[in-house]
Parts: sequence; C-alpha cells; structure tokens
Amino acid sequence: MSFSTWAGSNQPNDSDNLSANPNGKNSEDMDISVNLEETISEIKQVLGDSDDFIVFGFHVFGQHPAVLLYFSDMTDHAVINNTILKPLKYGPRHIDVNNLPHDALMQTIMKDTLYHSEGYSERKISVLTDNLLRGQSVVAIEGLDEAIIIDTRQITQRAIEQPATEQVIRGAREGFIESLGTNISLLRYRLQTPDFRVKSMEIGTKTKSKVAMCYMDGITNPGIIKEVQKRLDAIEIDAVLDSGYLEQFIEDNHWSPFPQIQYTERPDKVVANLLEGRVAILVDGSPLALIAPTVFSQFYQTVEDYTERFVLMSAIRLSRLVALVFSLVFPSLYVAIISFNPELIPTEFAVAVAGGRAGVPFPAMIEVLVIEISMEVLREATIRLPQQVGGALSIVGVLVIGQAAVAAGFASPITVVIIALTTIGSFATPAYNAALALRLLRFPLIILAGIFGLYGVMVGIILITNHLLSLKSFGVPYISPFVPGNFQGMRDLLTRGPLWKMKNRPSFLHPISKTRMGDHMKEQVDHSSSHIMDPVHPNDEKGR
Amino acid sequence: MNEQRQITVTQAAAVTISTIVGVSVLALPLAAVKAADAGAPLVTFLGMLLAFVGLFFMTRLGMRFPNDSYIEYSEIIIGKWLGRIGGLLSIAFFAVLSSLVAREFGEVVVTAVLKNTPLEVTVLVMLLLAAFSSRRNIMTFAYIHLFYSPFILIPALLIVALSLKNAEIVNVLPVMGNEIRGIPAGIITLSTMFQGYFIMMMVIPAMCKPERAMRSSIWAMLITGVLYILIVSATVSVFGAEETKKLLWPTLELAKATSLPANVLERLDAVFLAVWVTAVFTSLFSCYYFTIYSISKLFRLADHGMLSFFILPFLFVLAMLPQSLIHLNEVNSVISKFGLLITIVYPGVLLIIAKLRKKRGKSK
Repeated sequence: MSFSTWAGSNQPNDSDNLSANPNGKNSEDMDISVNLEETISEIKQVLGDSDDFIVFGFHVFGQHPAVLLYFSDMTDHAVINNTILKPLKYGPRHIDVNNLPHDALMQTIMKDTLYHSEGYSERKISVLTDNLLRGQSVVAIEGLDEAIIIDTRQITQRAIEQPATEQVIRGAREGFIESLGTNISLLRYRLQTPDFRVKSMEIGTKTKSKVAMCYMDGITNPGIIKEVQKRLDAIEIDAVLDSGYLEQFIEDNHWSPFPQIQYTERPDKVVANLLEGRVAILVDGSPLALIAPTVFSQFYQTVEDYTERFVLMSAIRLSRLVALVFSLVFPSLYVAIISFNPELIPTEFAVAVAGGRAGVPFPAMIEVLVIEISMEVLREATIRLPQQVGGALSIVGVLVIGQAAVAAGFASPITVVIIALTTIGSFATPAYNAALALRLLRFPLIILAGIFGLYGVMVGIILITNHLLSLKSFGVPYISPFVPGNFQGMRDLLTRGPLWKMKNRPSFLHPISKTRMGDHMKEQVDHSSSHIMDPVHPNDEKGR
Repeated sequence: MNEQRQITVTQAAAVTISTIVGVSVLALPLAAVKAADAGAPLVTFLGMLLAFVGLFFMTRLGMRFPNDSYIEYSEIIIGKWLGRIGGLLSIAFFAVLSSLVAREFGEVVVTAVLKNTPLEVTVLVMLLLAAFSSRRNIMTFAYIHLFYSPFILIPALLIVALSLKNAEIVNVLPVMGNEIRGIPAGIITLSTMFQGYFIMMMVIPAMCKPERAMRSSIWAMLITGVLYILIVSATVSVFGAEETKKLLWPTLELAKATSLPANVLERLDAVFLAVWVTAVFTSLFSCYYFTIYSISKLFRLADHGMLSFFILPFLFVLAMLPQSLIHLNEVNSVISKFGLLITIVYPGVLLIIAKLRKKRGKSK
C-alpha cells in the first residue's frame, strides 16, 4: 500500500524542524543542491544520526555518482535490489546510456529505466525527508537538482484474523488490523461502489498518523460529514496512538460516563453503519474504527442480529437489553427491598433471605458494596493477567472466595447470587464501553438504595435517564429513535424487524437517500403464494 | 436547524399528559367521591370537560401567537403592565404549585415507604431532581416527558386492570350519584386536577407546527381523562364510595389491594409508589421549568439555566410552610381553586380581548 501521494506529504513541517537547524537554515522551503555531497549532508542534518538510516552510494549506468537513501527497517529490500538498483546500474538496453545528454538523464531514468510504478521526482528537502520517514527510498544523483522518491515501504503486519472482542456465530470472520491501508481495502472489498468515499488527513504533530474519514456519498447527511471534518481538523496533539485518542477529542459531552461514539473492529459492521448514513473514522495503527453519530440502542445490537431469523434474534436482543438493565439496577433493587421493603417479596422468599442473612453483621448496602467491589477487582485482575494464569485465578477468585465469604459470614448466599447475575449481565452487553458505564453507575445506585430504598433507586434512575435524554452525538439525540418519537425506527429498537420491512434508513440520521430497498419488497418475499411444486392438475400449467 | 422549534405533536401531547398525571392522582378518587358519591366517574368526566375548555382557550391563544411566549403575548394583548402582572401571577402560582407537589409527594413517601426519613429530605431530593434537570433546553424538556409518559400510563393502567377482579359494579351505581347538588362544586374541584395542561402555553411556541397544537391538546386531554375516569371507577368499584371517603390516598390503597398474578410480589404499593416517582417528577419538573422559563421571559433573560438553583431555596421554604398534611390539603384546595382563575379565566379573557382588538402574532 502506498501513501506517497496521500494528503499531508506536502504539508510543511512545523516548527520542530526549525529548531533542528541551529545554523538558521530553513529546511522547509529548501531545494536540494546539484552537489551530491551537499544534498546528503542536508538530509542527514534533518534526520539526525540514526543507525538504521542507510546511505548507499553507487553509479547510475556505471558513470553518474548517486546515492540511495532509506531507513533499513521500514523498506522492502527485494524491491530496492531488483527494481531500483539493478535497472539503475545496468541501464536500459535499448538506449545508448554512454552518450546520453545530461539533461535527458532524469527523463530516461523515470521513463525507461526504473521498474516501479510509484516513483516521482521531487526537489524539496522537507518532502524527501518526510517520505524517507514513511519508508520510501530516495535516489539522488550528482548533477541533478531533483531526487527520485520510490515507494518501498514495507511494514510487517499481522494477518487478518477473527475479531477478538466481537465474535459472531454467523457472519464474517474478518477483523480490522493495524494497517490503515488494509483496513480501507477491507471496506472497499465490501463496498464496490463509487459512492464510498475516503477523506484522509494527518493528525499528530509527532506521529503524523493518517486518519481516514469514510462515508457514503449520496447517503450520509453532509452536515454530519462537515461536523466530523471540522472536529477532526481542530485536533492538535503530538501523538494519536489509537482511535480512542480521537474519540475523546470529537465526542460531544466529555463528562458523561456514556460513550457517544461507537467503536468496532468488524468491517461488516462499519459497512452496515456507513450504509445507514453514518461516518466511520479509521486511524493508521489502530484496529478499531470509530462510528459516529452513535445512539444508545447500538450498544446492545450485534451484526448477528441481522443474519439470523428475525423472530429469534428479536428475543435474543430483548434478553441482552434485560441483561443491560439488570447490570445497572439489580443490586440496588436488592438492597432497597431487603433493607426497606421486605414485605414486597413473597413470604417464603423473604424467610429464605432472612435466614441467609442471619449471620451477616453488616447492613445489606455494605455487604453488597463489599462483594461488588471485590468482584470489580477480580474482573480487572483477570483481564490484566496473562492468559495462562487468568483462567485459574477467575475460578479460584470467584468460586473459592465466594464460597468462603458465605461460609465466613461476610455475605449471604443470595447476595452472591445477585452479584453473580449482575456481573454476568454486564458481560452480555456487546459493547464494552457501554457495559462499563452501566457497571460503574450501579455503585451510586446501590448507595442511593441503601439510603432511600426504592425511592432512592428511582431518583437515581431518573437522574441517569435525564442525563441520557440530554445527551447528543453529533446532533443526534442519544435515545433515538425512541425519544424524538419516530415510530418507524422503533421496529429496530427493542426487537429487530424483518429485513424486508425495514425499508427506510434510520431517519434520525437525516440521510439523503431515505430508502434502502425496492418499493414492493414485502410482496416480493411472499413466496408461499406460488405453489411451483404442487401436483400437476390437468387444466393447470403449474407444477411441471 | 432551529434548535428551539422542533417539538412535534406527539411530544407536545406527551408533555401535557405527563404533566397532568402526577401526585394528584393519589388523592383523585377521594375528591371525586366527596363531590358525588357513586357518581364519581361522571364528575371526573365533567371536570375533564371544564378543564378542556381552559386548554382550548390556551391552545387557541398559542396558535394565534405562534412565535411569542405566553408572557410576551399577554403583554401585547392587554398592555405591558397588566400583562406583566398576569405573568407574575401565573409564575407565582406555578412556583407554589411545584412546592406543593414536592411537599405532597414527600408526605406520601414518608407516610407509606420511608417512615424514618425526615420529610425535609424527601422534599429536597424531589426539588433537587427537578432543579438538576431543568437547566437543559426545551427540547430536552420535551424528550424527558416523551420518554417517561409510557412509564406513567402503563403502571396506572396495570393497577386498574389488576384491581378489576375485586371490583363490584354495584359500587359505581347510580351513575349520577346520590347527591346531585354536590356535582357543580365537584366539577370545579376535579378540573383543578387537570391544571398541568397549562404547560401547553410554554410548549406551543417551541412546536415545529404550532397550527397542529389543537390536535395534541385534544389527544392529551382524552388520554388523561380516560385514565382518570378509569382510576376513579376502579377505586370506587373496589372500595365503594363510603369507604373511599375514609382513605387518605385511595389510589395507593388500590395498589395495595391488588396483587400480581403468580404471586411474584407480595404487595404492589411500594413498587407502585416507586414507579410513581417518575409521574411526580415529570409534573414537578414541568412546574419548575415553567416557573424559571417564564421568569427568564419576563425579565428578558437569554438563558433560564442559572435560575434553576436560585429559586430552589424559595420553593423549599414554601413547601415546608404548611403545618401538617391536613393543613397542606386545605392550602392545596384553596390554591388550586385560585389556579382556575389563571388556567381557565385568564386565558379565556385574553383570547376574547385578542379577538376584539384583532391582535394576532406574526405567523412563522
């Protein structure tokens, strides 16, 4: 993948390069010199003294002194040897290189000699050094005031694998990798249409990370594209190491616990979102694409919902939503009922709870908080530990400690059950960041429940809901389509509607093209009316 | 996109519904039964009709001046100072109303669920909740109401449906009630239960199609009216008129008397009350929002957000003024009867004067 002509390569270097020039020479607008030695020293001055920077001297066509410059660990040596050095040393057979006039040298090299499609000549030192840093090679020749930049970049990258965090049973097995070029090719492979657009920019004064904004021309609302572009352009930071960095700069509400931009490592998910009228942002070096605008319902939807039968997946989606709500309110409801309204629960159960809690010295709130916090610690420890020990720890931690805590009278068995259900519930949410928000919000809810009972839980939930209702992601209300009241869109909210009925793209994104299928899809999929295999009737042509 | 003109017909109806349905529902059957014994459902219906007259005036006024806030057009219609006095009175009324809502719900909570918690705390929590949320713009205001309206309607309907197995149809007969004379006064009392519809005044200038405001008014009144009649009929048919008179919050007792099938929960009153927090919150939120929004309009402030915590101490003191629950109920009935002047008579007078003086707002 080549980035030689990508936007940004001609951008002037910033002030850091000025300070690298103590003698006051401005390398920014400097052209290379005809003198080869001078050119080399100028480039070396900008790049400094690094051992992986190779300056290889040779003779073009056996007579013109030249150097090949590159960073050895970012370049493809086979390309350098076979398509640059070999033709340059021998020269084209059909041209008499010995009697070549000096002013035709460049033309001959570019047009007749090099076996490489991505090469161009350039004078500016800053452009040359930028390209060298990117992994390209530069050939400078004595007596020419231009140097040749040739694409030789080769970065080792891992293979395309199944996404680790978003696995599906039915659906594509491809996940993004770190290289931006490969990621875009994965998207293009699924969207072979000229409407798919990629706009690129460089963010990060030091890392110069390539950021690509993808959208569908003619579907995505231009307002959203403009807003995303504006927010990305405004970012000034020295390094962008992951798309998560960008997320924090472009999201709407920075203090909210809820994620306002979705991330995914599945190309098919990105494509589905692009086709709904959203914008995707990819960063070179990050296997996670950002999708904006995001609404809350996206966090409990998966790709799989749309590949399996709709009735069943609707039920699964509902159960996921239940899990999400569970992970937020279950422990606080338990605390509230146990400490304030035990009369609510059936008598037999109340007796069981009271029996289990008989030896526990703490009030229910403290008990639940202690177990909850230790659960959070265990979970964090399990994630951080190497995989070989992680499994063992989770069993020891959860089973043994849980059992021992009950035996020691720290917690009642029912508390452990409740916390276990809550924890499992938070795992059922496909989006880690949304689950995290709800997981941590349940702590204030437990405290409210311990102080005010059910009334406190409701007050807490109202506060959270009001916050959600006031959130927006790139101008789109966060609880869309439920809350601006779009009944069309609600087909895909709690349950999933049949694909042939979801004729319109989500209207809260205000897409330019509103429909995604033909007008009479409903009738078209009604295949049962044609009995092609019915037994033959004498007077009927059906059923050959 | 104009941020301030996006409220749809559905949202406007939802705002009105969830504003009207509030803490007053808990005592609603009591008021109805006091007025007309077994004729309680009928009285509720007539009260709804009277309230609808007020809402009708208000909606017509709002549609006549689709761009101006209520404070602004009352100044246009009856002159600057009279209009300001009218505005100030309605602000005061809504400030008092929100403190009373907070106080009454605080009383309910302290009596029914949190017996050891000081009243001040529950009232303050409710007021804080409203203050926190009312700093947002009017779109968020509409979103919040739209979101909660199903959570208000469904539990109420559920309670009604579940209580039907204990209902005796004889209890609501005769339909006219035994005391015909009490009905006119009862209509007035009952119509005060619908006073929340005043919020339409604030909503119409923010609607994207103000000319369709009447549709949302009709829907809102219809839905709340049906809900109220159902609740009153259910309560009276379960307890009978005489017994209902002895209950402090008959609707809460109704929830206590019903049980879920399969005995999942032993009792429903605490759950009902918990869910009811949302209903009370939305009413309180509307009153609170109306108060600060109108103050900001009256003084021509650009933003109402800074007022939200400023008026909190005043409302809290107002809420704590009534000595006891009985005193609170007396204050409540006086205030809400006075409120009829503001919610029915005042808009009616404004509408008539506007028609006579041929004042009309610029259409958008």
